[in-house]
Amino acid sequence: MVAALEVQNLEAGYEPGLPIVRGASLRVEAGEIVAILGPNGAGKSTLVKAVAGLVSISGGRSLLFGQDITRVPAHRMVFEGLAFVPQTENVFVNLSIAENLELAAAIVRANRHERLAPVYAMFPDLERQRKLPAGQLSGGQRQMLAVARALITRPRLLILDEPSAGLSPKLVAQVFDKLREVRASGVTVLLVEQNVKAALALADRAAVLVEGRERIVAPCAELLGDERIAALYLGRHTGKQAAKEH
Amino acid sequence: MLQIVADGLIIGSVIALGAIGLSLTLSIVRFSNFSHGELLGWGGYFALSALALFGAASEGMGTPIGPFSFGWVMLGALLVACVLTAVLALALDHVLFRRLRRQGAITLVIASFGAALALRNLLLFWYGGVPQYYSQNLQISIPLVSRDVLGGLRITPDQLFVLALCLVAVTALHLFLRHSTLGRSMRASAINPNLARVAGIDPERVLRATWIIGGVLAAVAGVFSGITVQLRPTMGVDLLLPLFAAVILGGIGSVWGAVLGGFIVGLAESASVSIVGAEYRAAAAFVVLILILLVRPTGLFGEKH
Repeated sequence: MVAALEVQNLEAGYEPGLPIVRGASLRVEAGEIVAILGPNGAGKSTLVKAVAGLVSISGGRSLLFGQDITRVPAHRMVFEGLAFVPQTENVFVNLSIAENLELAAAIVRANRHERLAPVYAMFPDLERQRKLPAGQLSGGQRQMLAVARALITRPRLLILDEPSAGLSPKLVAQVFDKLREVRASGVTVLLVEQNVKAALALADRAAVLVEGRERIVAPCAELLGDERIAALYLGRHTGKQAAKEH
Repeated sequence: MLQIVADGLIIGSVIALGAIGLSLTLSIVRFSNFSHGELLGWGGYFALSALALFGAASEGMGTPIGPFSFGWVMLGALLVACVLTAVLALALDHVLFRRLRRQGAITLVIASFGAALALRNLLLFWYGGVPQYYSQNLQISIPLVSRDVLGGLRITPDQLFVLALCLVAVTALHLFLRHSTLGRSMRASAINPNLARVAGIDPERVLRATWIIGGVLAAVAGVFSGITVQLRPTMGVDLLLPLFAAVILGGIGSVWGAVLGGFIVGLAESASVSIVGAEYRAAAAFVVLILILLVRPTGLFGEKH
């Protein structure tokens, strides 16, 4: 079965000759939620930005539902079925909520009302405040608008770069609940996360990226019991490790 | 007093239209285009050439319309000037700025200085240094307010036409930016170009639209300057400082800010003529510019990005 996203030996970076992503490979099956974890500077954000066309790729390739999108420019990705939500500055702050969403519908030449209605049904707060400039929204509301804006284009794959960044635990739970709804609607989700506990609770599988390459790719249930993950990210000391330390 | 305000608004409408294009270039193409003033000059002279061509081809169309100093051919010449100036702006981008975009804003600014010099001298070479006029017809100004009230107010029909068309052009641009997909894409690209790209907005299409709109408005401003004052090859460089003052006063990227800034700079210039003399008129824009930078660097409607 063809994967929703297949990244093969990808090399990418901001400066020529200085790759940050160094031969990363990843397979995301259709309908899955996959989280990319890893320490700071591991290349998680660079990897998803490269897939989205924002960072230049120097080697390898990425396939979206079997279609090679390695050289597709960033502004054509929505037409290929890929929507990307950046970590920060992910809404147009000088446009109102409605303008943000209407613009997304107009770009893909879709019927405005047909696209906005289901999104407003999923995010009723946005409909209530639709005339409000996006710049006046709180962090959580902005994240919701960013996801809503991406969903308007009816993507097959939604990529989010640290959707929980800067949010309180309560808001993280709300955003992640929405991502579960998004998956239930048939959209494959790939997210980069620093909040490992929340990400492992949400995702089906996770990939741990270290120094620009995937080190571990496994179902989240397995990773939750993995000593290396526990030690690296969850601050949990397993019995075996505690014995080693003594 | 009233006359100073009216004169200021007429000068301001030319500055406002030029400033909008400059402001859009600053916020979307992201550099200070010092050759923008020359687009006003070229726009004015394109209309002069078109007028000569149309005048020779269509007898009678040059007869003044009602109280104005110009005939229907002038409106045709204005349209031709808009198209040619937009093409000139696109050509400048294609030949020069596009190739240097990756080098950064400083390189683009220096290149725009070079482009301004080249464009101005081409204008001088082609049309000569003698000031020119669209019409030899003299216009008698109409007294709108008697001298007893705040010094009175007299205005020519041409000046009223310029003011009215300026407001029509600005309103049309406002509606375009507010309600059209391309206009909203331009606003989105101005605030966040990377997000605009991943949202599906073609950056090259937005840049083209910016140059076209900037070119069209520059042509209208140049023709307005020719109608109300005269055409000189140096009109672009003479207007450059007031244009920048208006953009910075209004706030970079704000259309209504550029309009308000244009009118304020126009009023300052007009007042300085009465207070300190015409020879210090250019200094008024400079004083306004310095004051804004000191008091409110983001301008009246500027957004802190």
